[in-house]
Amino acid sequence: MRTVLAEPVAAAASSLAARLAGITVEVRGHGRDASTGAPAGAGVVWRADGLILTNAHVAKGAVSIVLPDRRVLPARLAARDVEQDLAALVVEATGLSAAEIGDSDALRVGELVLAVGNPLGVVRALSAGLVHATGRRFIQADLRLAPGNSGGPLADARGRVVGLNAMIVGELAVAVPSRAGWRFVRERLGR
Amino acid sequence: MDTLLSLSNDLAAAVERAAPAVVAVHARRLPSTGIHWQPGIVVTAEHTVRTAEDITVTMADGRSLPAVLAGRDPGTDLAVLRVADAGSAVATPGDDAALRVGHMVLAIGYGPRASWGVISALGPRWRSWRGGDIDRLVRLDLVLYPGFSGGPLVDAAGRVVGLNTSGLARETRLALPVTMVTRVTDELLRKGHVSRGYLGLGMQPVRLPEPLRAQLGLGAGALIVVMVEPAGPAARAGVLLGDVLVALDGAPVSDLDDVQARLGSDRVGAEILAVVLRGGVRTELRITVGEQPRRRG
Repeated sequence: MRTVLAEPVAAAASSLAARLAGITVEVRGHGRDASTGAPAGAGVVWRADGLILTNAHVAKGAVSIVLPDRRVLPARLAARDVEQDLAALVVEATGLSAAEIGDSDALRVGELVLAVGNPLGVVRALSAGLVHATGRRFIQADLRLAPGNSGGPLADARGRVVGLNAMIVGELAVAVPSRAGWRFVRERLGR
Repeated sequence: MDTLLSLSNDLAAAVERAAPAVVAVHARRLPSTGIHWQPGIVVTAEHTVRTAEDITVTMADGRSLPAVLAGRDPGTDLAVLRVADAGSAVATPGDDAALRVGHMVLAIGYGPRASWGVISALGPRWRSWRGGDIDRLVRLDLVLYPGFSGGPLVDAAGRVVGLNTSGLARETRLALPVTMVTRVTDELLRKGHVSRGYLGLGMQPVRLPEPLRAQLGLGAGALIVVMVEPAGPAARAGVLLGDVLVALDGAPVSDLDDVQARLGSDRVGAEILAVVLRGGVRTELRITVGEQPRRRG
């Protein structure tokens, strides 16, 4: 049987998943979490020069970054904002594949979103869902997340990162919008 | 264009098509969802209507309007409200007969808020624990978020194929098929309640002895009459205490569900052919179906 849409959709989703995995890093703590080997969370390669964005609740104290190519690098905490649950980490690296950042204000309820992260230690796992509701402060997504998704990308159907997954409330995924990420980088890092 | 993007745009368009007819219903502590069904008529899940007074409805454009309860049927979990609004968009009904297991569907809440999933199972007519006959089982694999009961289940084109409820089965998300919602809503608007057929009998299941079954060509189970309401529909037709009911309208009956299934709203006032065993002899009686008295309170 040949399908009209299901196979092309499945193929497009898997190539998008691979692309997103290429801009998603693991964030590992050096404290007690490190001994278990499980990542504390995830992060997004925001810029090719080593700037990584994650959640403030993931970047507590000294952390290491595991890049998509498996290199492990120590990270410097450049900025942290607990209110917005955002943190900027910098690693000594250049020429990284960086995320294409989308505009979270342009999201429509019902559009598809994908999340990549490290839920319960499974590295770079994909979840698919859709925009549940839009608001100024947070994006709500009808999407299954687990601890370890924190700080990882929420992307639209074009693969543009529109948010950073931050919380699970009830059965909903809650993400920090990409606009807040832009503003945070501009205001706190001046670039 | 990229197929994934096309699908994404279609889903967002489906939400936008359905959203103008999605309302919030304030008839309990937490609001539920309702569907603007016809001009001035809102349908919601009955179990979310905890009060008959001071009900308000927030239309999709944000206007808050007082609502009057026009009718309710706990059995099917449907309630109908009237609001003084003729201008807002009403729902576009879809075709629930065309639903297939695996079809992509969306549940819509007020806002709009959206939930995505598939039809997980379809089944035949069934009876809810609240005693209503549901035309067809439509089981959903999606999250019905708090307050989503009473809202529309829409197909990939944004047409309403059902009304979502978490009030008819525990741990299971269901939708009432849209054709049934239409029928029950019409009846509620006409009468304020859904009538059910009534015989005025108390019965208990019994097993028939093998020789009798063989002799009369009957099934294993039947119902013995243990109470006959004086001057009730069955009493008037001559049903006696101790009669054993074996068939209604030519279909064998072995439990009370079989009987209820033959006593839908459309049978009230009609004649039903009952076959009973009286002293081991097959006897036919014609009962004019009455209307089930409504519970007060």
